[in-house]
Amino acid sequence: MSVDVAELNSETSSGLGLGAAKRSVTVAVAGNPNSGKSTLINALAGTRLHVGNWPGVTVEKKEALFSFDGKEVKLVDLPGTYSLSPYTQEEIIARDYLVHERPDVIINVVDATNLERNLYLTVQLMELGIPMVMALNIYDEAEQKGYRIDVKAMEQMLGMTIIPTVATKKVGLQDLLDAALEAAADPARRPKELRYGEDLEAAAAAVEKAVIGAHHGLVERYPKRWLAFKITEGDERVLSEVNLGGIDAIVKHATAHLAEVHESDMETLMADARYAQAAGLTREVLRKPESKKKELTEKIDRIVLNRFLGIPIFLAAMWLMFKLTFDVSTPFVDWIDAMTAGPFKRWMEVLLGFVGASDWMVSLATDGVIAGVGFVLVFVPVIFAMMFFITFLEGSGYMARAAFVMDRAMHAMGLHGKSFIPMLLGFGCNVPAVYATRTLENQRDKALTALLIPLMSCGARLPVYVVFIGVFFSAYAGTVLWSLYVMGIALAVLMGIIFKRTLFKGDAPMFIMELPPYRMPSFRSLMIHTWEKGKHFLIKAGTYILAVSILVWFLLNLPWGVEQRKDSYLGRMGQVIAPVLEPLGFGTWEAASSLVSGLIAKEIVVGTMGEIYVPKAEEEKKNIPTFAEDAKEVGTSFIGAIRDSAVNVVSGIGISSITAQESLNEQEERSPLREVIKDQFTPLSAYAFITFVLLYMPCVVVAIAMKQEFGTWKWFGIAFAYQMVLAWVVAFGIYQGGRLLGLS
Amino acid sequence: MNLAMLKPGEKGTITKMGALGPLKRRLMDMGLLVGEEVQVEKIAPLGDPIEVTIKNYQLSLRKREAEGIAVEVVK
Repeated sequence: MSVDVAELNSETSSGLGLGAAKRSVTVAVAGNPNSGKSTLINALAGTRLHVGNWPGVTVEKKEALFSFDGKEVKLVDLPGTYSLSPYTQEEIIARDYLVHERPDVIINVVDATNLERNLYLTVQLMELGIPMVMALNIYDEAEQKGYRIDVKAMEQMLGMTIIPTVATKKVGLQDLLDAALEAAADPARRPKELRYGEDLEAAAAAVEKAVIGAHHGLVERYPKRWLAFKITEGDERVLSEVNLGGIDAIVKHATAHLAEVHESDMETLMADARYAQAAGLTREVLRKPESKKKELTEKIDRIVLNRFLGIPIFLAAMWLMFKLTFDVSTPFVDWIDAMTAGPFKRWMEVLLGFVGASDWMVSLATDGVIAGVGFVLVFVPVIFAMMFFITFLEGSGYMARAAFVMDRAMHAMGLHGKSFIPMLLGFGCNVPAVYATRTLENQRDKALTALLIPLMSCGARLPVYVVFIGVFFSAYAGTVLWSLYVMGIALAVLMGIIFKRTLFKGDAPMFIMELPPYRMPSFRSLMIHTWEKGKHFLIKAGTYILAVSILVWFLLNLPWGVEQRKDSYLGRMGQVIAPVLEPLGFGTWEAASSLVSGLIAKEIVVGTMGEIYVPKAEEEKKNIPTFAEDAKEVGTSFIGAIRDSAVNVVSGIGISSITAQESLNEQEERSPLREVIKDQFTPLSAYAFITFVLLYMPCVVVAIAMKQEFGTWKWFGIAFAYQMVLAWVVAFGIYQGGRLLGLS
Repeated sequence: MNLAMLKPGEKGTITKMGALGPLKRRLMDMGLLVGEEVQVEKIAPLGDPIEVTIKNYQLSLRKREAEGIAVEVVK
């Protein structure tokens, strides 16, 4: 509602100046990547920040509503861009917002240590004629370097208020907001019109006269000067938007002479002219000491990007991050697992017993709902930990180096250097890996990476391998296990090359990336990012996962009064699917049903097999703990989890050792299942089966993560389809090929 | 002579931007303009991409992208 008021007021108050103070002000924040814009937004908005996506695209949109100085402020964070060209998603979003939504004021965040390139964007923003203020950010670092910036002179030349800020220390932010609101209150106070030289100005004037003069409507939709220069420049997007007949001829006429004299195209001339302004301004206001002292970033890069050390250091950093992500979170995951399966379940049973609920209701509440909630919760520690480290890598500047070091290898399979990190995380869990694709700027790179992530064998598949390897291949367990991981990687390379030539044909994404100076990210910013992502997952993904978990409960327990698993909907699905799996060596309804249940998470395949193959033994009459004992257990085990987490970090117990140990323990309990598996499978069909488990469809949580990241089910659909085919073909090849070779 | 041919530590002045369309625009937006001085800093451990200093900051780009940028070596 406040937005409507703002729009209404902006029309009625435009001529009245300060007198008709507006109640709601829209502030757009624009700036280069690595200018500290995120930190500044976090510092301004804090927990009031709402993170979503820009409509229809995967680019993150941050907004905050708060009151300041008696006014409603709507803060909108535009994607970080270097320019306002029509070629990248981020730039299109930023300029479309500025041109069509017309914020009341722009806060332009400028990196004071990198003035010229940052001012190139400033110059373009000024063409829009929207009131502007500048946050001259990272000012402390500029001072440390001995830079002297004449802020007063700069204000004069640009016609806007400039506030030196240090977002990481919250310096200057109050003044910045004050200045922004002041500028917004007086729409007449626009930034200076910078002149681009006689020739270009004349060409733009000619275009303006011919095009805009004849179509008055355009002036209402576009800032006049901006439009004139965009048309002169030959901006594809604007030209197709205004879509005027004969416009090409007008532009050609106005610019032909210019292009000829300079032997250049208009886009180049405009870039030159804008950079000339940026360079001129920088020359006027910036005094730098003449020192040849090596900077810290340069010193670090000498080692980190060294020809011989670069890759080992990168791999060590990745190993550390992987370990920290999963080691820190594992004890909490186990704790949540144990609590939802133990005390919480029991409490729910007791509670429902009181109200006299029937058995099936108790089962739905515990096996369906509580198990589902637990299932959502177990992901939270991993996602929090992963987001924390990824944000740290990005904020510190190392992410760009990682991409630089790995790009050659990843480029071979059609990926970007930055794809390596999500792929690596995939070995722990595919879900955070899919979320980590957001570090990739390009939609194509992002999608292709997400499609290949499920081929990275995640931790949830390990229990399945362990059971089968334990039964059939215990003599060479390591080799068989290793073969599965390698197979996943090899197929990812193969599929990457295939996708590059089919689905993503023609697109050739660029690798033109700034290597920003190393900086210590602010802890507050790290925590806000991490919290936002975790919350997002809990609320959005959590709902879906819970729904699917309940659905599976129904599949297992319907139709009503079903006695045998074979007759449940899940069993029937298994019976339908079994013939398709016949050529792979495991065409039984039991195997098929287990695979279907793996939709939730691949580790569930083992659990379902246990339930189906092994007739339910009489439930042991264990000593059921009292409420007090349970409550105590919840508390002490949580403290234990914190301790384990800390110990893991310090001592260096790998995730794999924990999981393997756990799986071995579980194996003992499942010895009846092992006997049945021995009967039902041969070594060959067992190997085909675990290969199938490695490759077939991503689990439902990955599906939801893909939907969330891309805003559409399309990529999950493609992943589902290709993985099903791939799994079938590879398992078929193994089983039938093995039989031809005389194996069994 | 193009940018991809310079060795680490060598400097050049850009004489022509041979790239086209979005790639050219992106390179120009990053400050790679005719007349600018650019220095190659490093080559990635696997031989590609390269790191250059342009307009007082560090930029990385693939050799294929650098090939379209003609330079004249500065002694």
